Amino acid sequence: MKQQIDAWRKPYLRLILCILPLLTADIALAHGERAQQPGLRMRTVHWVDLEVFPNQLKVGEELTIRGKFIPSKYWPEHMASIEDTAFLNVGVPGPAFLRIDSRVNGVPMIRSTAFQVGKLYEYEMTLRARTAGRYHVHPVISVQDAGPIIGNGLWVEVLPGSGAFSAPVQTLLGETIDLETYGLANVLGWSALWFALGLAWFGYWLTKCPIIIPRFRRVQELGPERADEILTPADRRAGALFFTVTFLLITGGYFWAEERWPITTPLQTGKIETPPRELDNEHVQVRVLDARYRIPGRSFRLELEVTNRGDEAIRVAEFTTATVRFLNAQLLNEMPRDSHDLVAPDSLRVEGGAIPPGATRTLVVFAEDALWETQRLTTLIYDPDSRFAGLLHFIDTRGRRTLVEIGGPMIPRFT
Amino acid sequence: MNTQSAVRTTAEQHRAHVIFDWLAIPIIVLLFMGIFSFHFALTVGDWDYWVDWRDRRWWPLVTPLSLLVLPGVFGYLLWEKFRIPVAGTLSILCLAAASWISRTLNFELFAGFPMNMVWPSTYVGLGLLLDCTLLLTRSFFWTGFIGGFLFGLLIYPLNWPLLAPFHVPVEYNGTLVTVADLQGYQYIRTAMPEYVRIIEESTLRTFGEAVTPLTAVFAAFIAILNYWFWVWIGYLGAKAIWIRKVV
Repeated sequence: MKQQIDAWRKPYLRLILCILPLLTADIALAHGERAQQPGLRMRTVHWVDLEVFPNQLKVGEELTIRGKFIPSKYWPEHMASIEDTAFLNVGVPGPAFLRIDSRVNGVPMIRSTAFQVGKLYEYEMTLRARTAGRYHVHPVISVQDAGPIIGNGLWVEVLPGSGAFSAPVQTLLGETIDLETYGLANVLGWSALWFALGLAWFGYWLTKCPIIIPRFRRVQELGPERADEILTPADRRAGALFFTVTFLLITGGYFWAEERWPITTPLQTGKIETPPRELDNEHVQVRVLDARYRIPGRSFRLELEVTNRGDEAIRVAEFTTATVRFLNAQLLNEMPRDSHDLVAPDSLRVEGGAIPPGATRTLVVFAEDALWETQRLTTLIYDPDSRFAGLLHFIDTRGRRTLVEIGGPMIPRFT
Repeated sequence: MNTQSAVRTTAEQHRAHVIFDWLAIPIIVLLFMGIFSFHFALTVGDWDYWVDWRDRRWWPLVTPLSLLVLPGVFGYLLWEKFRIPVAGTLSILCLAAASWISRTLNFELFAGFPMNMVWPSTYVGLGLLLDCTLLLTRSFFWTGFIGGFLFGLLIYPLNWPLLAPFHVPVEYNGTLVTVADLQGYQYIRTAMPEYVRIIEESTLRTFGEAVTPLTAVFAAFIAILNYWFWVWIGYLGAKAIWIRKVV
């Protein structure tokens, strides 16, 4: 036994033990979207109609991300609101893409904005591939003081392109610049100049080597009143010279830059207004009578009172919550588009059938799929505020879709 | 036990002192690089990481507050014990070296940001002014009063030759931005939405276009007090008994 313990004390075995976890570690591909509390994922932003195309492209080619989102009317009151300050972002690993354009309801999203709860927003982002790789691309809405709310994502493969990547932009002064390299030579030149001057000053004192022990002893011998005697007139001349050169270089550099770039503006910031769109769902009213989650069956049961004031019969085709789509296979035949597309085909069971025009019916809707578990939504029962929200997709006999948000308390069932 | 000294002649003593310098100085340099870059990352961080954070109001104010810590503390130690006025320049040179290494390895090669978006600002000139003032005045009071004032005052003009091209205006999708703003928009930072930047916003308290000089003068006054404070901390640190025992 002792020999075995001694064997593990050998350095190469310890090295293997240190390296082994690194070799077996899986690559982190997600953005932590499942880490957020399910109640918050359900009650913040509802994402629909995500399109990411093409799913394969080369470096230098453009990618479009398009879809819609609806800030939840059940937004938690203790969280900073999306109605204050928010920003449309992209969830990708670093600058693998250049963001060429991003718009919400047609408004450019270069700056921050605010979104109203219960309203519809259509977003579109155009990215240009910069680095080859395979990326899971998400839309993200960052909310000030709350954090990022990550939408559903799709995989995109970027293949190497031909030629060097460049990012040309024309300034307001008419000059075309490449954002990849612009100004770098100037930065390197000035940084090197200052580095050289600093090294020269340090080098001057190093010429007095040895300095540490002899100077310490000498300063101790002279005492605080006479310690300055260790400094020579040459030291003072060097000090005056370096002071003058430094001061002239700073002021000269400033005026040189003013001459070289006479027109500049301060960094730009501030909020812009994004006009919202209405959901156009006044003809469908839904009241949640009961909402229970049965843990063993991974089954979410909703009892709803639905009133149809439209002119066509309507049926429930989809329930979306926390970016997971539960589909009624009788009405929607969609399949997941890739390995991480959060679509649960044939997972929505509706008892109560269609609701004719002018009628009020009680429906029982079951959303049942393993995605409740794999997306860590079942931990809703451990949230300090066990309330849910989601989006019901009604489809009428002519195929028109109506989106209605529902929400309320959720009671867990343990058997 | 043999108690005879290994150093028997003046030449041998000189050689021993040189060897001590060659051992101690690289260690001091490495320590300064580590301490200063860590301290600067914690206190200034994004203002120095990203070109679209270097505004006229916050960056020139926050930076000297943090940047004066090591020059003040070690400036006292090196001056009082050795009469060597290099703490400002040396510590900032170490910070500059560590910053360039970090930006190249972490930001450019690992994360993929172009270097012209993440270059470190230059502060070596401020360290030089501080050290030279200390040498010429031989007084911490006047070094703080003159050198500290210049330290805060000149941080913006010192960096303007590097920064000015990034403040050239661009019209992008119907919005006025600077080149730096555009870099911040185009090169995606998922964890850094636009509103996170702590930069100048328009207020009624702004005196027309005079934001930069007002900030510079205010930063300069703060830098005087800041330098004196950190020199006092250095004085307290130099009194420590363990230093006397070690040296």
